Amino acid sequence: MEKFKKRRILIPALAVMLTGALAAGCSGGGGAKTETGAAPSDGKASESKATEGKAEEKPKEKVEITFWHVWSEKDSGPINAAVEAFNKKQDRIVVKALGNQDATKQLTAISGGNPPDVALTYWNNLGPWADAGAVLELDDKIARDKFDTASVVPAAMERTKVNGKIYGMPFTMSMASTLMYNKKSFQDAGLTTPPADLDELLEYSKKLTKKDASGNYTNMGFLPDYPWIDNVFWPVMFGGGWVDANGKVTPNRKENVASIDYQANFYKTFGVDAIGKFKSGLGKRGTPQDPLLTGQLAMMIGWEYNFPDERKPDGPIGIAPFPHPKDRPDLKNSGFVSPRAVFIPKKAQHPDEAWEFIKYLMSVDTQVEFVKNSKVIPTVIPALDDARLRKDEALSTMWDFFERAKSPNLTGFPNSVYINEYLQALSEETEKVLKGQSTAQDAMNKVAEKIQPLADKAKK
Amino acid sequence: MAQSFSNRTGIRRRRRKAIAVGLLFTAPWTVGFLLFKAYPIIMSFYYSLTEYNLFSSPEWVGLDNYIQLFADEKFYKSLYNTIYLVVFGLLPHLAFALAMALLLNMNVKGQSLYRTIYFLPTLVPAVAASLLWLWLLNAKYGLVNDLLSMIGIVGPNWLVDPDWTKPAIILMGFWGTGTTTVMYVAALQDVPRSLYEAAEIDGAGSWRKFWSITLPSISPVTLFLIIIGLIGTFQFFTEGLIFAEAAQSVGGPENSLLFYAIYLYQVAFSFLKMGYASAMAWMLFLVVMALTLIVYKTSARWVYYGGEK
Repeated sequence: MEKFKKRRILIPALAVMLTGALAAGCSGGGGAKTETGAAPSDGKASESKATEGKAEEKPKEKVEITFWHVWSEKDSGPINAAVEAFNKKQDRIVVKALGNQDATKQLTAISGGNPPDVALTYWNNLGPWADAGAVLELDDKIARDKFDTASVVPAAMERTKVNGKIYGMPFTMSMASTLMYNKKSFQDAGLTTPPADLDELLEYSKKLTKKDASGNYTNMGFLPDYPWIDNVFWPVMFGGGWVDANGKVTPNRKENVASIDYQANFYKTFGVDAIGKFKSGLGKRGTPQDPLLTGQLAMMIGWEYNFPDERKPDGPIGIAPFPHPKDRPDLKNSGFVSPRAVFIPKKAQHPDEAWEFIKYLMSVDTQVEFVKNSKVIPTVIPALDDARLRKDEALSTMWDFFERAKSPNLTGFPNSVYINEYLQALSEETEKVLKGQSTAQDAMNKVAEKIQPLADKAKK
Repeated sequence: MAQSFSNRTGIRRRRRKAIAVGLLFTAPWTVGFLLFKAYPIIMSFYYSLTEYNLFSSPEWVGLDNYIQLFADEKFYKSLYNTIYLVVFGLLPHLAFALAMALLLNMNVKGQSLYRTIYFLPTLVPAVAASLLWLWLLNAKYGLVNDLLSMIGIVGPNWLVDPDWTKPAIILMGFWGTGTTTVMYVAALQDVPRSLYEAAEIDGAGSWRKFWSITLPSISPVTLFLIIIGLIGTFQFFTEGLIFAEAAQSVGGPENSLLFYAIYLYQVAFSFLKMGYASAMAWMLFLVVMALTLIVYKTSARWVYYGGEK
């Protein structure tokens, strides 16, 4: 009798737990992500601000629009300054900025039908969102106002296009076309100039690599997948691409395969396990233990935000254009950009006012001011040469990057609805090649096989 | 006749009123359940039969998502990774918690202090704990490998070697068994003293007592913990995501940390395939339900309630 009773209680209890498991299965992810990301208190602030915005709606006269961006409170000074300047400059549109709105939050708001009027996100979100019909096409507005897209860095502009239509404006961009190196490591190894081509990069790496008594690497010259497997950078450096004019995906074209072979060669030369061991002992990036600062690693793919102070002429870090393949001098100054894009959600209440704000963000003056405050690369070409930036000593370590942002060999990954799956597949398969589990050709054929159906579907 | 009739309706009315009041009192839960559990569950089943990207309206595709699922390499990989945790993590964690509970149940001075200390790690948020363990498990500078080298073992490359990432997660899991331990301590204190006394009179040693009295007596708690653990492990997410982020990817080295819930999250929010993700959630439900049923069915053989099987 006793056991009977307990069982009867247990069964419904189990049922409840199981359904709990199911609910968590579909929603648990989001919750945990917030935990790792933004501060939870922001959720409330966003709600109250959004409703405030609607309550004071007065069309034709004063219009209040909401602008969501990704910067945290700590880093949102420059963008807030830009917003404030806009609000002061004219008296028709009031922009309310709200930070810490990562992709998941924006996605939730947009799909929930209560989006901000204008938002800033990473360019690769635009592909899936635009394809799903959540983002407003800007082509009409661009044509109407004769906005000159040619004044924007082409590689950046291209990133906000999906299926040939423009869905956003690249406000700023990150750029990988630079080699950063530890000057002292070079000196100690008797190297006086940075490597000019990729063959030399490997040669240098051998010279800069040191082992301890037990045969473990203590220092290495270069790791092609540090700090991450870069599935965009390497094919770009070899002049490759991912989609051809006929809509065929081309991860397995000659140049792309060569770029992965090149990376795998490092693993073959120095040993998969030995590199693995070495990598796990690397200091944390961006701290005084950063491997490039300590000389643990002598060279790395450099972005404009790496070592902004240390790369001064008398600092410990040197910079140079990233080496090109020896037989392709035409690929000098190659690199890829990844912009932060501003866009208007399709269900935005004030798309026209939002567009005014976007045009303001894309003006030379705004870009110059913003760059001065936050040390990023502007996307508007005249801003790259603007005296206010080029003569400002505080920006001296950015000048090389402004210059390189004009390179015609800059490009990037094509934006599409399946972009995140494509990038994921590339990373997974590249990893197999680096570990010696697959040949570059086989691995990339596999990516093509997997992604082509998605590309076909996207075209329909 | 008339008297009894009016009386009956009176009772009915009162009873009806009681039911209404009862429903009213349970309404907060009922409404919450219907709105935030039942509705999403039903909708997720509907979505699992559609192609849905969150924005445009769902398109009916029938069982396509499920068929695709069975051809998806990463589905199997993530299922394998998750089952690995269940097989090699769950039972060792329970055994460890029981061992700790036995220690914490002994009559020694300062026991409440020890209990607090062993429970403390449970209070550390999963994210903080994972970040801490990333350092402990660092192959070169981590304390774990330092300790191993003291006994002459060259520690593995925990976070980089795909063969060792899951053991690393399991190792970290031992640290978080505080809640389980507390439940075991409570269960141990419920074991009737008289049984031990009787056994002692019969000349039973401590192993015999543990095996024949303690284990069977706490078996209902073990069953409960196994089922809870099973469900929890299948939803394993945070720690896996953070360990993988240390390797600058979603699934960790060679997707060795791509657990089911993480893959589901990736499919839903990175690839925007809500239909497929819903199908994954339902597969998860079926797998967990099947495993739970199996555990539950076998429990008749090893779970004792109040001395009866």
